[in-house]
Amino acid sequence: MSATSQVSPQSYNYDIVKMFTIMALVWGILGMFTGVYIASELTWPILNFDTPEITFGRLRPVHTTLVIFGFGGSALFATSYYVVQRTCQTRLWGELLPSYTFWGWQIAVASAAVSYMLGYTQAREYAEMVWPIDILIAVTWVAYLVIYVMTLRKRSQPHIYVANWFFIAFILATAILHIFNNMAMPVGLFSLSSYSLHAGVQDAMTQWWYGHNAVGFFLTAAFLGMMYYFVPKQAGRPVYSYRLSIIHFWALIFLYMWVGAHHLHWTALPDWTSTLAATFSILLLLPSWGGMINGIMTLSGAWERLRSDPVVRFLIVALAFYGMSTFEGPLMSLKSVNALSHYTDWTIGHVHSGALGWVAMVTFGSFYHLIPRLWETEFYSKRLINVHFYLAVVGIILYISALWVAGIGQGLMWRAFDSYGNLAYTFIETVEFLHLPYFMRTLGGAFFVTGIIVMGYNTYMTIRKSRLEKAEFEAKIAAKMASAQ
Amino acid sequence: MLADIFNWFTHLENTKPFALVLFFITFVGIIVYVFSNKKRNKRLESYKNIPFEEKD
Amino acid sequence: MKHETIETNAAWLIVLVFIVISIGGLAEIVPLYFIDDTVEDVKVDGIETVRPYSPLEVRGRDIYMREGCYLCHSQMIRPFRDEALRYGHYSLAAESKFDHPFQWGSKRTGPDLARVGKKYSNQWHVEHLTAPRSVVKESIMPNYPWLLKTDLEYKDIAERMKALKMVGVPYSETKAEYEANVKRFGKDVAKFLDVNQAENNLMAQALANNYDGNKSNITEMDALVAYLQVLGTMVDFSKFEDGYFSTFR
Repeated sequence: MSATSQVSPQSYNYDIVKMFTIMALVWGILGMFTGVYIASELTWPILNFDTPEITFGRLRPVHTTLVIFGFGGSALFATSYYVVQRTCQTRLWGELLPSYTFWGWQIAVASAAVSYMLGYTQAREYAEMVWPIDILIAVTWVAYLVIYVMTLRKRSQPHIYVANWFFIAFILATAILHIFNNMAMPVGLFSLSSYSLHAGVQDAMTQWWYGHNAVGFFLTAAFLGMMYYFVPKQAGRPVYSYRLSIIHFWALIFLYMWVGAHHLHWTALPDWTSTLAATFSILLLLPSWGGMINGIMTLSGAWERLRSDPVVRFLIVALAFYGMSTFEGPLMSLKSVNALSHYTDWTIGHVHSGALGWVAMVTFGSFYHLIPRLWETEFYSKRLINVHFYLAVVGIILYISALWVAGIGQGLMWRAFDSYGNLAYTFIETVEFLHLPYFMRTLGGAFFVTGIIVMGYNTYMTIRKSRLEKAEFEAKIAAKMASAQ
Repeated sequence: MLADIFNWFTHLENTKPFALVLFFITFVGIIVYVFSNKKRNKRLESYKNIPFEEKD
Repeated sequence: MKHETIETNAAWLIVLVFIVISIGGLAEIVPLYFIDDTVEDVKVDGIETVRPYSPLEVRGRDIYMREGCYLCHSQMIRPFRDEALRYGHYSLAAESKFDHPFQWGSKRTGPDLARVGKKYSNQWHVEHLTAPRSVVKESIMPNYPWLLKTDLEYKDIAERMKALKMVGVPYSETKAEYEANVKRFGKDVAKFLDVNQAENNLMAQALANNYDGNKSNITEMDALVAYLQVLGTMVDFSKFEDGYFSTFR
């Protein structure tokens, strides 16, 4: 090991970052593959194979849990642990506790996936984990908060950099949401079943307060934290405006918590609640675009990096999709638009333009920056990074355009009347219409998953290369020592 | 008393302007604070270099 | 206070963030528990017609949740003309007031089920659940053949009802609670809300209705069809004046 590189592995805890990085890719590949599989089940229902464990209804939570909590969660642990150490210029607090958060989180994700397939679920979207797993997650999350705060407290840099504000808001909000949404009465101490504390309309409000803020804090605020570190670092220039980041941070975390009820427009939820949610959803456009502009403008004056650096390209395209989906979101939260879009695949398409376009792309870009620094070597193949980029972009575009067609098309068919005032289509006719868009969507997903598999291979080869280089270096030193004697 | 406040809140004609005014004041307040003073501007912007001050 | 105070002090940052993120949820969730109009009054001759689920329906609902039906079927009809024609009267908040958790859903890959009860025969449901494409050729729903083959697990039904009672569903354990239910829901309903009789009531309902067409055992199909057949049937809209329910919206 060289003298200069000896400092970092000792002063920073990179092992924990490496572990989470690898698991993020593992869960990403598994979770996105599951996504492609359930998309295929909708296209060709025979793929359910009359097997309980792999029917759509049981695999869909497996897909969402693996990509949100497995891939997204592990990526956030990895990058937040990296960023907090680097921007505070101090080693991560604790030695055993960070390892505990790793194992606690991985066990929670894995056992959740297995339990859904066996039929154990709370039947709350994105919070399907049964109560013992919920408790494991809560404990792990508190440990995460403690580590994060203690690391902030022993920082040697007087200021807490903006990326860390976003991570703190994400950790706090996720704790609150998780605890309140999962309050339930277990059937027995040895039963995995439970019934939620709330019922009906209050339960719906609580669940979508949770559900939309899982998007707002887990999949947005936290990934903005990622953006605020990795975009400036990769671009080699500081973020466009620090003052803009102050404004959009406070506005974003305040507004997001109000908007969940836009998932419940025209339902039995009282009008005042959903109108309030729609209003705040429109306002939310401002801080969202504040973040996007701050990220993209960081590159101003260095636009040629877009052509020369595939990693910058990942990050900037991620921000463009972030801008796109945070425009589409407020649009869909208008009650008149929502009347058409709700219950259709438009929503699913919207989620994926955020989840694939923003969350996954910004993670890929950050990882391409992070991995060579963790393993102290160049990436195995720059060409494969480019290949991944194009596979991902083609995949996203296929996916979301297919579901625009599916969602808007089906929504219009549902409400179409013939000249006698009768419904123009039966329900099943609208399902038949979906077949081709569903096929295109599956294809788009397949492109995207191929991309992350390429990344997995590239990463594996990079780590191998790093090991070989280290071994070679050590052999050289040994040879030198031997000849010196 | 508490019920009265909740009740007041449930009327849209109250809720809408209330939310608007509340948000607007806070938002403008933050903007004025953040952008108004030249010295403060400079100081705040200096923090964006934190990621480049790190030592390996 | 300078923004630097927050930026240089982790405790300040955390406290402020905590306050800022708490406001939205508090303002939207808490009032729903206190405003009476949120959930409609549905009474006919002084008797509440929206009732808790029977023991067999509880187990059927558990299976509905286990198989993830809510991921493709909503149970929430919106107040639009096309939905009225396709599914029936828009859903009331009262109709899911005993639903722990709610099953409104967010996606209609298949049709809404809020009022599917009594629309099709038991036999239709059994055939459809076992092999959807034998009934609706173009359906993309998975087959659920194991429902007919799997005996229903109901040893813990009393425990389940007790758990539901803990979160507010008015099942009765004592004599006084039973009497209260008689007043509130009528005698016929109060009988099967009695936790002490849970297992007997479950078997009796399954035997009497024989949902799966097989009398020899109680299967998961019995429970699921019993649940589907009660969906949306608890409010008889002909008993209420036009516009009564819109006063709650």
